[in-house]
Amino acid sequence: MVPMEYYLLLSAAVFCIGVFGVLTRRSALLFLMSVELMLNAAGINLVAFSWFHGNLSGQAFTLFVMALAAAEVAVGLGIILTLYRNFDDIDVTNATTMRW
Amino acid sequence: MAGALEFIPAIPLLPFASFLVALLAGYFAPKLLPKGGAIPGIVATAGSLVVSVWAFVTVSQGEYIAESIYTWVAAPNAFSLHFGVLVDPLAAMMLVIVSLVAFLVHVFSLGYMNDEGEGGLHRYYAGLGLFTFSMLAFVVADNLLMAFMFFELVGLCSYLLIGFHFRQQGPPSAAKKAFLVTRFGDYFFLIGVVAVFATFGTARFVATGEGAHAFPHMAEQALAAVGGEGTMPAHVAHFLDVVGMSAQQWFSVVGLLVLGGVIGKSAQFPLHTWLPDAMEGPTPVSALIHAATMVAAGVYLVARMYGFYALLPTVLAIIALVGGFTALFAATMGVVKDELKQVLAYSTISQYGYMMLGLGTGGYIAASFHLLTHAFFKALLFLGAGSVIIAMHHNENMWDMGGLRKKMPVTYYTFLSGSLALAGIVPFAGFWSKDEILYEALIYGAGDSPILLAAYAMGLLAVFFTGFYTFRMVVLTFHGEPRSDTAEDPHGVRWNVKFPLVVLGVLAATVGLVNMTPVAEATGLHIEFLHTWLAGPEGTAFSALGYEHYHHLLESFAGYHAADIAPFVPAAVSLALALGGAGLAWLLYSGPAPTKHTEKLGAARTLLYNNYYQDEYQVWLAKGVTLPLARGADTFDQGVIDGIVNAVSSISLFSGGRIRRIQDGIVSHYATMLTLGLVALLVVFGVTGGWF
Repeated sequence: MVPMEYYLLLSAAVFCIGVFGVLTRRSALLFLMSVELMLNAAGINLVAFSWFHGNLSGQAFTLFVMALAAAEVAVGLGIILTLYRNFDDIDVTNATTMRW
Repeated sequence: MAGALEFIPAIPLLPFASFLVALLAGYFAPKLLPKGGAIPGIVATAGSLVVSVWAFVTVSQGEYIAESIYTWVAAPNAFSLHFGVLVDPLAAMMLVIVSLVAFLVHVFSLGYMNDEGEGGLHRYYAGLGLFTFSMLAFVVADNLLMAFMFFELVGLCSYLLIGFHFRQQGPPSAAKKAFLVTRFGDYFFLIGVVAVFATFGTARFVATGEGAHAFPHMAEQALAAVGGEGTMPAHVAHFLDVVGMSAQQWFSVVGLLVLGGVIGKSAQFPLHTWLPDAMEGPTPVSALIHAATMVAAGVYLVARMYGFYALLPTVLAIIALVGGFTALFAATMGVVKDELKQVLAYSTISQYGYMMLGLGTGGYIAASFHLLTHAFFKALLFLGAGSVIIAMHHNENMWDMGGLRKKMPVTYYTFLSGSLALAGIVPFAGFWSKDEILYEALIYGAGDSPILLAAYAMGLLAVFFTGFYTFRMVVLTFHGEPRSDTAEDPHGVRWNVKFPLVVLGVLAATVGLVNMTPVAEATGLHIEFLHTWLAGPEGTAFSALGYEHYHHLLESFAGYHAADIAPFVPAAVSLALALGGAGLAWLLYSGPAPTKHTEKLGAARTLLYNNYYQDEYQVWLAKGVTLPLARGADTFDQGVIDGIVNAVSSISLFSGGRIRRIQDGIVSHYATMLTLGLVALLVVFGVTGGWF
């Protein structure tokens, strides 16, 4: 029996890796992957608490979240494609036209 | 017959409809508009006249009306603003005067404007319609605010009509002057209206029905309470505490504020300067302005709220002095003028001075009587002058006329009838009314009031000048030999000029017979019809608008006492003065080639010819005092007030300019800020919530 804290630590670690990726990477693709990591960290949390409380609804929710994440990736890839068309690059620090 | 009073709103609305027709049809379909809008105007004013006469007959049977028609602001526990109609004997009389004169002016305009081939006629007739509408609505107004609104509309219409020939040099400037000078007085009137609302919580002239109040009545109650009878209305008592004045003082201030509007509109000294310039307008418009609409509005307003003024001896004395002084002052200026309409303009100022003198000295009936007679004979004189101007091809200089008596007999005899009325020669209308004003001024003045006596003396002296300038005008225009080619062969006039002249000529000769006070006194006959008409009913709410009530107020509040003087000697004196003036004018100016005697007057003539330099000093006031003051206020506004506001906003602008730099468009920076913000929030919650 793995204790609850281990799951939470795993989730926190995955989330921090995601945040680190978002803050340091310039490529939009890596950006998207990092965001996925953060989302799945939250998913781990949901599953862990569901298991801990003996209630299956959290796990069912996570299935939905995963489906949603797939849809989100489709949107994100679309955005990246547009980014590439407009700036000939997918470096997010180049696209700075939406500011004052 | 009782139905007439339900049609009262139709009286003003008919000319309003003719205004709309003339304006819209004249703009969109000029070919459909017969005579440039004259026909709709004539039909509408004739309709107003018929309904007015019907209402007059109904009122004479003792049925009055005062009711609100439309409330446009109603606040709970506060005053309501509404339109309403009030028709009592005074209003009924005025309705007939205004609609009759307006009707005749419309007919006359056919001859003066259409036959002379003027352009822009739909604009002219639209203006006349709106003018008549405004004045009629003003006459039936049942509260001071409604009266004020139509008072303003009347001013606007005078502006539009005086400036009718807007492509020439003079009329636009005269129109602006008329508008601005009367606006100056109306400014005080507006404050007065607000003061009346604030003091009394209502601006009704008369209270009918449950829970209604009228401000003259409340003022009477308040002053009676000061004298120890009854209780003061709570609203008034509270407001007097706020302003910190006694009831008498504060009411006098309010009365004087409203009087500001009256002095502007009725062209009393010192705001009379607009009126002579207003002669730039077409002559029928002058007739309308001087006889029935515009100028009469001021005097009518004082008569309308006489229940308020009769309580205030100070204000009455000021009205009497201003009136008496204006009567004399304007009459002296009329003596030297060369142009026909200018003489008439100054005579108007002078005659309205008489009405103010009558109101100020307690002669309410006398003043209303003069308003009635003056409306007819002055409309007659202006229309007569218009006829002469047509004949003279728009030359108004009297020195170019002469000898027109034989060429245009109808105009001559009607004009003579009006002149005899203006000069106050028995038995023409003006004699009876002017004499009654002077008589009232004398008896109340002799009853221990030197101020009223002084006003009387000025009014009496003005009679001489009136007779003089009137007959100087008649003799120069119609007698002697023609002094120019146009006077040799004047342009003929048609029925549409002669018909109004004849109607008014007969009225000017006879209308004075409705109120022959000296004759009634001598014979003991009850022939003072106007006294009976204006005395007011007994025992109804409307008795507060009757002369019996005003007389009581004058005696118990204003302290007016009539001395016992028989009317014959004063009447004989004023008649002798009028005849003297007329005779002197005849002596000096009759003969085939009269000389310009005024030039012998030297410096006095220059002074009179320049109207006592009233215009110059008012322009100086505007340029030398008001303009620098306004500039100073502007500098203060731009520099100090705007400066503070701009300084405050520049702080936000500056800091905003700096802070916006953190929004640099790089998405990683936004993510950093989000993360840092989240961490900071977590730390704050942890420290304050006790996680650590």
